[in-house]
Amino acid sequence: MQMLASSVLGRLVARASRVLAVALVATVAGAASTGALAQEGHPLKGSWLGTWESNAALGDNILLILDWDGKAITGMINPGTDNIPIAKASLDPKGWMVSLEADAKDKSGASVHYVIQGHIENLELPSRSIVGTWSSPGGKGAFEASRQ
Amino acid sequence: MSGAHGLGRVAARRLALACLAGLFVSAGTAFAHHELAAKFDTSKTTTLAGIVTAVDWRNPHTHVFFNVKDKQGDASNWAIELDNTIVLEKSGWRADTLRAGDALTVRGHPARDGTRQISGDTVTQTATGQKVLFAKDTTPAPPKTPRATPRGPDGHPLLGGPDGYWGYPSSTVLVQNGAAVKMDADGLLANLADAPKVAPFQPWALGVYRHRQERQLRDDPMFLNCKPPGGVRYLQSPLGFQLIEDRVRQRVFVLIGSGNHNYRIVYLDGRKNVGQVRGDDDNPLYYGRGVGKWEGDTLVVETAGFNEDFWFTNGGLPHTNLLSMTERFSRPSFDTLHYEVRIDDPGAYTQPWSASWDLRWVDGQELPVFFCQENRS
Repeated sequence: MQMLASSVLGRLVARASRVLAVALVATVAGAASTGALAQEGHPLKGSWLGTWESNAALGDNILLILDWDGKAITGMINPGTDNIPIAKASLDPKGWMVSLEADAKDKSGASVHYVIQGHIENLELPSRSIVGTWSSPGGKGAFEASRQ
Repeated sequence: MSGAHGLGRVAARRLALACLAGLFVSAGTAFAHHELAAKFDTSKTTTLAGIVTAVDWRNPHTHVFFNVKDKQGDASNWAIELDNTIVLEKSGWRADTLRAGDALTVRGHPARDGTRQISGDTVTQTATGQKVLFAKDTTPAPPKTPRATPRGPDGHPLLGGPDGYWGYPSSTVLVQNGAAVKMDADGLLANLADAPKVAPFQPWALGVYRHRQERQLRDDPMFLNCKPPGGVRYLQSPLGFQLIEDRVRQRVFVLIGSGNHNYRIVYLDGRKNVGQVRGDDDNPLYYGRGVGKWEGDTLVVETAGFNEDFWFTNGGLPHTNLLSMTERFSRPSFDTLHYEVRIDDPGAYTQPWSASWDLRWVDGQELPVFFCQENRS
């Protein structure tokens, strides 16, 4: 009887977990679709998550935090882990071209210069994207990040 | 046991379906409330004649459905989109002004997406030729004899009154003083090339403004997401606002008729506008944080501490959290409120700029009952 109750309870818990997962996915997707993370100011300001493909040194995933102080775009790549400050950044409204430059350190402590170039897609959305390429002396590849 | 098991499946499905339904609802109401040009092609005008089949009397837009026959005699059902019920009631409409079976001729703009919808600029009863809708909430004529500015015990003008509110702004769009720019009441430019004249934009801000204009303002978060009409936007809304002066607490409550009946507080008790960036940056707000003082007969309010989650004007002028405003409220006569604002946002504009307009006292009335959220149901 106790085993039966335990089995039933286990199934109920498992079902509740699946339902909760569905609800969470729907909620997160719903929030994204309704602009819950609104940002109507400078288009680059915010947190960006994405990939710089084939980056052997730092991995494919990138997290980017960008800010705008009225004169300059500032920010950091992978804050908390790699802590690579943005050294130079620009946004050209003609085509919404984005250029970001940053200097990381490799395992030996040598400086590695990264350049990200792309353009903003879906400018009007809070979840707009930067799509383009990245390059460094050690490699290059596709770049894409979406504002969170 | 099987019953409990079955019940769990049903409950799980229902919950999942409810979540998905919520997702579709949230994604599918993009055009529920909008600027006119965002949905209708205002460069084209269409006239249709037909028979009313139903009236949906509600905010933010009333819809009249009517059957229109083509040359072959086949009927198709069209929707006439009208203004909100507040404007319609001010124009003499009631929910039963039109009934099923009434014959109408409608003149308006067709929907941009080609669906069978038309904006109801003019609605005429076919049989009598009588126009049943004035599409605009027109400003009432001023009194023949101007009334004196009311004053409080301290001699300062009273900015409010026992019964009434401020409405009918002389301008519903924000343009820097001296600029000659043609745009509609929603702030949509007649000529996109005039965009740089509207304000001294930084390049990125001009780009964002042009982008919003090119998309006919359809991304406006006030309409899409019921974001509050912050900044100066509520001051240019036909739905008006009330100024409630609390002289004991030394503050002015601003009750806002548009949005969702939000309010802001202007503090007159001498406190400073604190925070990290030009205001209350620890808790950035839609209406900012305002501190004011009297300079003669003018209430001067320094407002800062805005968030970046909304459009602070009709027409989609961008701003940043560096925005601060110097607002000047004066009441040159009983029926007129004069408002001047100096916009200082070094994050979006190359220099401070100013604009001004008047509002009319709407005597003997409370703020209209309008909730943006009605749009979302």
